[in-house]
Amino acid sequence: MNKFGQSRRNFMQQSTAMAAAFAAGGTLGIRSAFADRSKELNILCWEGYNSAQVLDPFRQQTGATVKAESLTNDPTMINRLRAGEINVWDLINVNNPWARKIMWPEKLIKPLDRAKMEPYFEKMLPAFKPPYQWSLDDSGKDLIGMAQRFGPYSFVVNTDKISRASAEDQGWDLWNDDANAGKYGVQESDDWNVFDLCCISGFDPFKEHTDEEVARYTATAKKVFKNAKVVGDLATMNQLLVSGDIDFYLTGGTYSCSPARADGALNIRAITPNKGPLAGGKGGISWIEITSVVNNPDVSPLAEQFLEYVQDPEMSHTVAFAEGTFNPVAQMGNPDCFKLFTAEELDIIQWDSLEEEMARSVEYDIVPDYDRLLDIMTAAKREVSGG
Amino acid sequence: MADLGRQRARQGPLNAVPVAIFLLIGFAAPLLGVIIFSFMPERTFSLWQAPGLGNYATIFTGTSYLSLLWSLGLAAVTVCLLAVICYPIAYGLARVFGRWSTLLTLLFTIPLFVSENVRLYGWILFFIKNGVMLGTLKSLFGIEMESWLFTEGMIVLGMVYVYLPFMLFPMTLGVSMVPQETRDAAFDLGASKWQVFREVDLPLAMPGIMIGFLLSFVLAVGALVEAKVLGGQRVIPIVHDIELAFTYAQNWPLGSAMAVLLMVVVATFVLLVLRRFDLDTILGRR
Repeated sequence: MNKFGQSRRNFMQQSTAMAAAFAAGGTLGIRSAFADRSKELNILCWEGYNSAQVLDPFRQQTGATVKAESLTNDPTMINRLRAGEINVWDLINVNNPWARKIMWPEKLIKPLDRAKMEPYFEKMLPAFKPPYQWSLDDSGKDLIGMAQRFGPYSFVVNTDKISRASAEDQGWDLWNDDANAGKYGVQESDDWNVFDLCCISGFDPFKEHTDEEVARYTATAKKVFKNAKVVGDLATMNQLLVSGDIDFYLTGGTYSCSPARADGALNIRAITPNKGPLAGGKGGISWIEITSVVNNPDVSPLAEQFLEYVQDPEMSHTVAFAEGTFNPVAQMGNPDCFKLFTAEELDIIQWDSLEEEMARSVEYDIVPDYDRLLDIMTAAKREVSGG
Repeated sequence: MADLGRQRARQGPLNAVPVAIFLLIGFAAPLLGVIIFSFMPERTFSLWQAPGLGNYATIFTGTSYLSLLWSLGLAAVTVCLLAVICYPIAYGLARVFGRWSTLLTLLFTIPLFVSENVRLYGWILFFIKNGVMLGTLKSLFGIEMESWLFTEGMIVLGMVYVYLPFMLFPMTLGVSMVPQETRDAAFDLGASKWQVFREVDLPLAMPGIMIGFLLSFVLAVGALVEAKVLGGQRVIPIVHDIELAFTYAQNWPLGSAMAVLLMVVVATFVLLVLRRFDLDTILGRR
């Protein structure tokens, strides 16, 4: 995906400026190129950062108009910047590799004040201690984003039907077992579904794939979608696990099953396989959100201030348990933040196994031949239609 | 007088300029953008590359036609079912229910104020294992049944449910356009109920019926949520393919080509129907 180059960026900036102005006009109000932006902030993010619990105190502190739009996939958010909305947004919150490997090389984001912002990493959980690779550019010179929410993300089971130990041992082979046809769902999250199909096929997703591997992947994709009872969103998956319609689903993790656990269904549990085909024989994949300042020519001065604001222990806890899904945050490394989490909240985010699950996971990365694999998966879903 | 006529003739187009500009920017330009994008090389974000037919070739050599066929098929089944379901209701609203018609019309209209997603998730709760229907059957009668969710039938149910008002209301208008005197005259002349239905009711109500058919068909071809929510993606309609191309696949040109193809297929169908049933003629304007 690094093939997107300078020419496209120039084009998108120039030729779609008008479209962007219209788009922005619809939701954010058309503003002059020379408007004073000291009292406004626009955030493009995953759900949670757009909640009133997170934004209202900041609005009160600064008297600013803060607008946030939440989306549930990274490529769409980045496409919005590419399509000219770089002039609209001040902050973008996406999963780890997109900042360092896509947005930074494409100049869609700008560096943070490293001297001011990097010390916050000192107070985070040990895995995030500076220099933290996903917050830095390739050269290690520029700080390009701040870390906060994270979690393992492989699959979710109903432990009344499959024990945690058995699911961890069997791992991705659950989907290779024909006896499980009709017992599982697939949470639609196309990039993650591609990763998981690679794991089920027995190879690492985050590398170039041979024709033989692609052939195996194609067969796996058809089988997994043919045998799936349902493909849907995380709310549907959790509901079907609770009702007993399905026993397990991919893709999923703390992020996706936390609403069910918060509702008392503690038998719905995120699983990270003990072993698998990922680097170092690891079985799971994890994500870390990185929030960056957009390379907006007229960026709001409040952008970095907001990044500092969400580092505060209380606000970090609020971010972890904002509306929607519930997630661990890197700031839990700070005792002042950790003590705010109740035993029930820690149980919801599976704190008991979080460290070992993260250790068994590789971090979300870019798949070099993603386009090809996604097309194969889309075709497989289509071909098993009605089957 | 002639000068005044010419002046008025000149003023007409002039006065239409603001609306024309608005339509050009708001309607024609995005459509033109989509059409041009469909001829660009795959996965580009630029409109200024050498045009080609690669995306259309991808559609016809790949399996996208399956999605198109599913969309057209599901829409056709939906429209047929809607016609059968809505005609008696429309007849009742126009001729039988009297003052209750307003209340019934309201009951059919009120759900439109609730988001389609919410209404469809309501059906999930109704049909889910241990949900409203299966849970009640189990607890009251001890009958245990497998869930009916995530089947083609459920998608059709969702589509019939969502698009019912779009067939019902034009049809009700059509039925109410049939003069009672004409029906009475037909009966007086010895026509049977079937003959009156076939030769009086149906032809005279045809404008409303046709508008209902077209409206619900065009909307149903573009249906996405029903297949996603109630169908559990057991079926991938063409609009789902288009959505994927514009989001995860980052392949705007392919998505545009599919969108253009869908527009062409639907427009061709609508034009064919309109040629067969000229609305102006059946509305009695010519």
